[in-house]
Amino acid sequence: MTTILIIEDIPDNAELARKALTAGGYATLHAPDAESGLQMAQGLQPDLILLDLGLPDYDGQTLAGWLRADPQTAAIPIVAFTAWPEETARQMAVTYGCRGYIAKPIVRVNDFLAKIASFLKTN
Amino acid sequence: MVLPPASEVQLIAASQFSIEQLTAIYNQTRVDYLIPMPMNAARLQEYISTYDVDLPHSLVAATPEGELLGVAMLGVRKQRAWITRLGVLPVTRRHGAGWALVSGLLEQAADVGLDFAMLEVIKNNAPAHQLFLKLGFREIGELLVLRRSPTIPPPDPVIADAQRLDRADALALLGRERDFQPWTNQSETLFNAQDVSGLHVTLADGSRGWLVYQRQKFTLTRFAYATEVGDPAQVACAFLSHLHYQYPRLDTQVENIRVDDPHLPAFYAMGYIESFRRIEMWRGEAPLFL
Repeated sequence: MTTILIIEDIPDNAELARKALTAGGYATLHAPDAESGLQMAQGLQPDLILLDLGLPDYDGQTLAGWLRADPQTAAIPIVAFTAWPEETARQMAVTYGCRGYIAKPIVRVNDFLAKIASFLKTN
Repeated sequence: MVLPPASEVQLIAASQFSIEQLTAIYNQTRVDYLIPMPMNAARLQEYISTYDVDLPHSLVAATPEGELLGVAMLGVRKQRAWITRLGVLPVTRRHGAGWALVSGLLEQAADVGLDFAMLEVIKNNAPAHQLFLKLGFREIGELLVLRRSPTIPPPDPVIADAQRLDRADALALLGRERDFQPWTNQSETLFNAQDVSGLHVTLADGSRGWLVYQRQKFTLTRFAYATEVGDPAQVACAFLSHLHYQYPRLDTQVENIRVDDPHLPAFYAMGYIESFRRIEMWRGEAPLFL
């Protein structure tokens, strides 16, 4: 089963993403901060990482850059998960080696799942 | 929650709360921000010590029944106060808690003899900006928050005599003349920070300058720099190229660079991008030494 690691500190956002992904047939993992997210990515090798850009220990961009630079995690696609304005989100995602971004909050589950599927397909 | 009128908002010294409690309050106030910048307790503790936040003079707002409404912190340095980490819980906004907190901090500053206060507000945070204007702050200028991703290949170092400086030598540079800086970039910040070092560069044409920075586990941050001789953009290209050549895997975050900083073209040339902008605001007469 395709596994998606959700790195998100706000429990409600994480739970909403988890429910949507589970409904879409994915297995999920959850890390509430960058340190645990890095460890889970290295140890559990998810198929995709959904990464909040605002985390309490290190922010999402820093973690994305580190994941890209680490040979253990460099090949795992990362999708930024953010409420930032579209242009800033796009620029940050591209600059930090993310496959793209998904805007928060999740409004339509089907759109969210379609984006996740498209990011996995381009892997 | 029944919200009290502004006059009944209770202000409690932040020192009466644990760091964990303050972290929780702060994060709750920011949960709906466009740029939420959450913190964990360790990060908030580091913030407090690095930026000289004075918890006994910082404030938590609460209802008369003790339900928490928000938080605001006061930094205290020689002849200067700084207002930071202001936040009000989303469901309790527009009932005067923000006004009470900032007014309270200004009174706290006055109590310790400070009538000059500084702050930065995220550009387009109109409610906070308006609040500060009403409380007597004036705009000084725009500040940039910049980032450089480690996914950008390290630049070839500009040909220059580049000397790495240990903490003591790096901090010794901070006493030299620099323009007055936003709070986060003032010399005291670097004196308080851990893992500080520096670079001094001299180019073939005699241009020279220096950079002092903090190296954290995953990031380079808290830059202070100056050009001693020559074109600031050229000198900055030299010290930044050597820095990123030395630390190719580290993310870089640089806060509160003034939009008219003559070193700025070098940051863009080295792959930095703008993350967001803040507005710097002052209240009262700046001390003469500034």
